Amino acid sequence: MALTDYREDMTACVRCSSCKWVPFNQMRSARFSHNCPSIDRYNFHCYSGSGRMNMGLSILEGRSSLNERVSEIIYACQLCGACDVACKTYREVIELTEVLLELRAGCVERGEMPLEHMAAVDALKRENNMLGEPKAERGAWAEELGLKDVNRERAEVILHAGCRYSYDRELWPALRGTVRLLREAGVDLGIAYSEEGCCGGRAYELGYRGEALNFAEDLASRVKASGASVLLTACSDGFAAFRWLYPRMGVRLSARPVHLVQYLDLLVRQGRIRPRKNLDLAATWHDPCHLGRMGEPWMPEWPGDKRERLRCWTRTGRRGVYEEPRRLLLAVPGLELREMERIREWSWCCGAGGGVIDAFPDFAAWTARERLEEAVSTGSDALVTACPWCERLFRDTAGEAGLPIRIYDLSEILLASCGEEVEGL
Amino acid sequence: MIGDEAFRELVEAVGEENATREPAMLDSYAWQPFLNMSGELWVKRPGAVVLPASTEEVQEVVRACNRHRLTFKALSTGWGAHNGPTREDVVLLDLRRMNRILEIDERNMFAVVQPYVCGGELQAEAWKRGLNTHIVGAGPHCSPLAGATSMHGCGNDSIHMSTSSRNLLGVEWVLPDGELLRVGSPGSGCGWFCGDGPGPSLRGIIRGTSGAFGGFGVFTAAALKLYHWPGPQVIEGRGLILDSTCALPGCCRLYQCAFPSEKACDDAVYRIGEAEIGYLFVRMVASEFLLLLMPHLFRKMVAKGRKLLELINRALPHPFMITLAADTPEELEWQEKVLREIAGSLGGVALNMGDVEAVRRLMGSNLLRCTVFATVFRNGNLFATNLDGNEATDSQYAWTHAMQGPKEEHIKRGGLLEDGGENPYIVQYENNLYGHCETIYFYDHRLPEHLRTLEELAFDTTLAAIEQCNVPLAAFEPVTRGLMSPLACDFNEWQKRISAAFDPAGVSDTGYYTDEREPDWERIPARKAERLRRLQERFGKRGEAEAWKGREP
Repeated sequence: MALTDYREDMTACVRCSSCKWVPFNQMRSARFSHNCPSIDRYNFHCYSGSGRMNMGLSILEGRSSLNERVSEIIYACQLCGACDVACKTYREVIELTEVLLELRAGCVERGEMPLEHMAAVDALKRENNMLGEPKAERGAWAEELGLKDVNRERAEVILHAGCRYSYDRELWPALRGTVRLLREAGVDLGIAYSEEGCCGGRAYELGYRGEALNFAEDLASRVKASGASVLLTACSDGFAAFRWLYPRMGVRLSARPVHLVQYLDLLVRQGRIRPRKNLDLAATWHDPCHLGRMGEPWMPEWPGDKRERLRCWTRTGRRGVYEEPRRLLLAVPGLELREMERIREWSWCCGAGGGVIDAFPDFAAWTARERLEEAVSTGSDALVTACPWCERLFRDTAGEAGLPIRIYDLSEILLASCGEEVEGL
Repeated sequence: MIGDEAFRELVEAVGEENATREPAMLDSYAWQPFLNMSGELWVKRPGAVVLPASTEEVQEVVRACNRHRLTFKALSTGWGAHNGPTREDVVLLDLRRMNRILEIDERNMFAVVQPYVCGGELQAEAWKRGLNTHIVGAGPHCSPLAGATSMHGCGNDSIHMSTSSRNLLGVEWVLPDGELLRVGSPGSGCGWFCGDGPGPSLRGIIRGTSGAFGGFGVFTAAALKLYHWPGPQVIEGRGLILDSTCALPGCCRLYQCAFPSEKACDDAVYRIGEAEIGYLFVRMVASEFLLLLMPHLFRKMVAKGRKLLELINRALPHPFMITLAADTPEELEWQEKVLREIAGSLGGVALNMGDVEAVRRLMGSNLLRCTVFATVFRNGNLFATNLDGNEATDSQYAWTHAMQGPKEEHIKRGGLLEDGGENPYIVQYENNLYGHCETIYFYDHRLPEHLRTLEELAFDTTLAAIEQCNVPLAAFEPVTRGLMSPLACDFNEWQKRISAAFDPAGVSDTGYYTDEREPDWERIPARKAERLRRLQERFGKRGEAEAWKGREP
C-alpha cells in the first residue's frame, strides 16, 4: 500500500474535529476531555488526525511538498490510535492510522526522517534492538533463572521479553519474578537468549518497512523452529506487532501471540497463581495503547467501497485487551481500583510510542505528565501498567516532576500479593 | 504570501511556535468539504495561521492586520467551509489555545467560556453542578461560543434550552480595528449575567439572526445561560455511540409519539409547549433513524425502491420523539400523564420507549449529548441541509414539502443519493411556537456529478424559499445572499454599512457575512433563471437602503 491508496480515506475527512476529543458519550470533564497528545501540545490543526490527513492530501495533490518541517509534524505523533477510535465513532470509511503510517513510509522513501530515528534503526540493524545495546547481552536478564533455551530445546511457551525489558535493569526484577510465578504454576517456558531480536514493530511505525519485515520473518522462523504453541510477550509493542502487524505484512506465526497479562489472568482464574497478601493499595490502571486499541487482531483490507464496509470489519479499538488486567487487579486482596476518565479505547497515551521518545523526548515527557496528573486526580497511590515503555517514561517523569504517585508493572502487584518482596508494596 | 515584516509582527504577538506560513500546514486549514456549496472541497489557503492564547494576543494580531491591511478571520472548532478564508492571504486566527471555562456561576446559572470550549466539555462540567447547556444539533464538538455569537444553533434540547443566540449573555469582543468592547453587563463591570446591560447592548448588531460567520471581529469570551438538570453528574455506561449503553437516567422518560395527520402533530406540539413539558424533542421519521443507525441496511432497502421505507414510516406517521425530565417521580408521572392525554386527545399515541431496552440504553447520552446525529455522514460521506429560519411551528411541514421538490429532481438526475423520501429534522423552541426544520440531502463528494449539483441545489432551494417566505439552504453563502437581499429590504446593504462602521480598514473576511456573488449561470437552467427573474420582479424592492443614504447613525 501507499499513501495514494488512502486518497479516499483522506478525502472522506469532513474536518469535524471529533478526532481531537475523547468520544463524547464518555466525556466526563473539561480537564480530561482531550485524546490526542500531539494537537494538545502543538495546537495547529495539522497536528491532529484530521489535519495530518489534510496535509497528506495536500502533498499528494501537489499543492505543497514534504520538507523537514512537515516531516517533523508527521513524526511528532505517538501513533497511539486515539484519533482513529474517535473518528470511527462516527464513520467507518477512514483508516486514519493507516494514513499516518503511510505518511511516515513516504518520509523514509524521500529521506525526510528524524536523525534520531536513523540512529535508532542503525542500532536495530547492528544490535537487533532499538536501544543500541549489545546483542550478546540480550538474555542477561534471565541469567541464573535456568530457563530453557528455545534455540536448543522445545518449550510449550516461548517468552519474548522485548527490547526494553531485556536491557532496562530497573525493570528486570518484575520480569524475573513473573518468570518464577509462571514456572511455579507449571508453565513450560523458554526464551531465545541473545538470539531474541526486536519484533520490528517500532521500525514499522517509523516508516522502515523493509527492516520491520526482516525482523518479523526472523522472529517467525525462530518461533516455528521452537515448536512452541504460545508466543508470550511482556511487551505491549511486541504484542501489537504479533497480533496486528505481522498478519498485515503477511508474516504467519506458528504460535498464538499472548500478552503476559492475558496469560496471568488465565492462570489466576485457573487457580494456578493465587494472590493472597492484602496490599492495602489504591491503584489506577493505565491501558497501554499497544495492548488496548492498537492491540486488536488484524482484519484484512475491505475489498471495494469502504462505505459498504461493515462496522465489525473496522479497527475501532474495542477488541483490545481491557478486561484481563482489570480482573487481575481486582483479584488482589486489598487493592482498590480507581479508574481514570480516559480508559480503554479512549485512553490517553503514555507519550513514548511512535518514536516520540527518541526524537521528541520533551514532548514524550509532557504527554506522560498529563497522564500522571490524571492518575493523581483519582487519589490513587499507584499507577499500574503492563508495558515497559510506558513504565520507563512514567517512572522518569514522575520522579523528575516529584508527583505523588508510584509506578508499578502489573506483574509486580501480583508478585507482591503472592508474597514476593516488591519495593513499596 | 504574507510579507516578512507583517509576519514578524504576528510572531511578536503570539510567539514563534504559534505562527506559521508553511504551505502544508496552511493547507490543513483549507480542506473544508462540508457545507461547501461551491462544489469545491478546498477553500482558499490562508496566508498565515496564528494561535493566540489570550484576548490581548488577539488584539495584537488584529492591530497588526489593520496596520498591514491584511484580511483576518477567526475560527474556533472550525467545522464547515464558512470557517475558512474566502480571500487570498487571509490571516487565520485559530482560537484553539483559548479553551477554558472561565467561570460557572451556579447561583445565577451561567457559564463564561472561551471560544474553543466545546459543547460536550461545558455540559460535562455543568452536569456536575446540576445544570445543563444547550448543544447544537451539529453535535457536542461544536463551540457554544461560536454558535451563540456568530451562527444560528438549534438542537433537540431547544425545547427546553432554546437556541444558541437566545442563550448569549455578556460578550467580550475584539472589534475589527483591534479595540476591545465588552457587551452587556460586563461592559459596565457588573459581571457577565446579562447581554443587554447595564452596558452597551449590541447583541443584534453582533449577530443579527444568523451571525457574521467570523467576518466581524473576534469574540474572545462569552457568558452563556445554563439550565436546570435533574439528572446525575455523570451518565455511566460503556460504548461510544452505536454501541452505547449510557442509558437515560431515572429522571427521564423517552416517548415516541405519532399522529394521524400533520395538523394533529402540530397541535400536539403547540399543546406540549403550553403545558411546558419536554426536555428534548426532535421530529424525525422512522426511516431517518434507520439511516443513521443502519446505513448499510438502509441503502439496500432504497435500492429496491421506496415502498418498504414508506411502509415503515406509515407505521409511525407524523411522529416526534420527546424526552421528559423531572426532579421527582411524581412530577415525571404528571408530565407523562399530560403527554399521553395530549396525544390521546388528538388521535395520536405516545409510546414509552423506555420499555424497549435496546432503545433506552442506546439513546441516553446519544440524545442528551446530541452525539448520534453526526453519524449522518455514514450514509453518503457528505450531506447538505436546507436551513430553515425561525419560523412558526405550523409552517414546518409546508417547508419540508417545498424542499422535497428540488431534492427529488436532483435524485432522479443522479446528482444526489437516494434517501427514501422526505426526511426532515425539526426541533422546537420558544414554548414550541417556533420550529427549525432541516431537510437533509445526501451526496458523495467523490462523485463529480454530485459536486456539480450543489450550486444548482442552492439556487433551487433559494427559489423555493422565496416562494415560501423562508430562509434557504445556504443563507450565509454569497450567491444566496446576492439573490435574497433585493427581495428582503436590501438587508445586505444594511449589513455592509454596519460592517463598514466597525471595520473602517475593511480587514475582516466578510465572505460569509456581506459578500455577494453572481451564480454560475452556465450551471443554472434557463427556466429556473426565468422563474427567479419573475419572483424578483414581483417581490423585489431595490433601493431601500439607497433612500437612507447620508442618514447613517
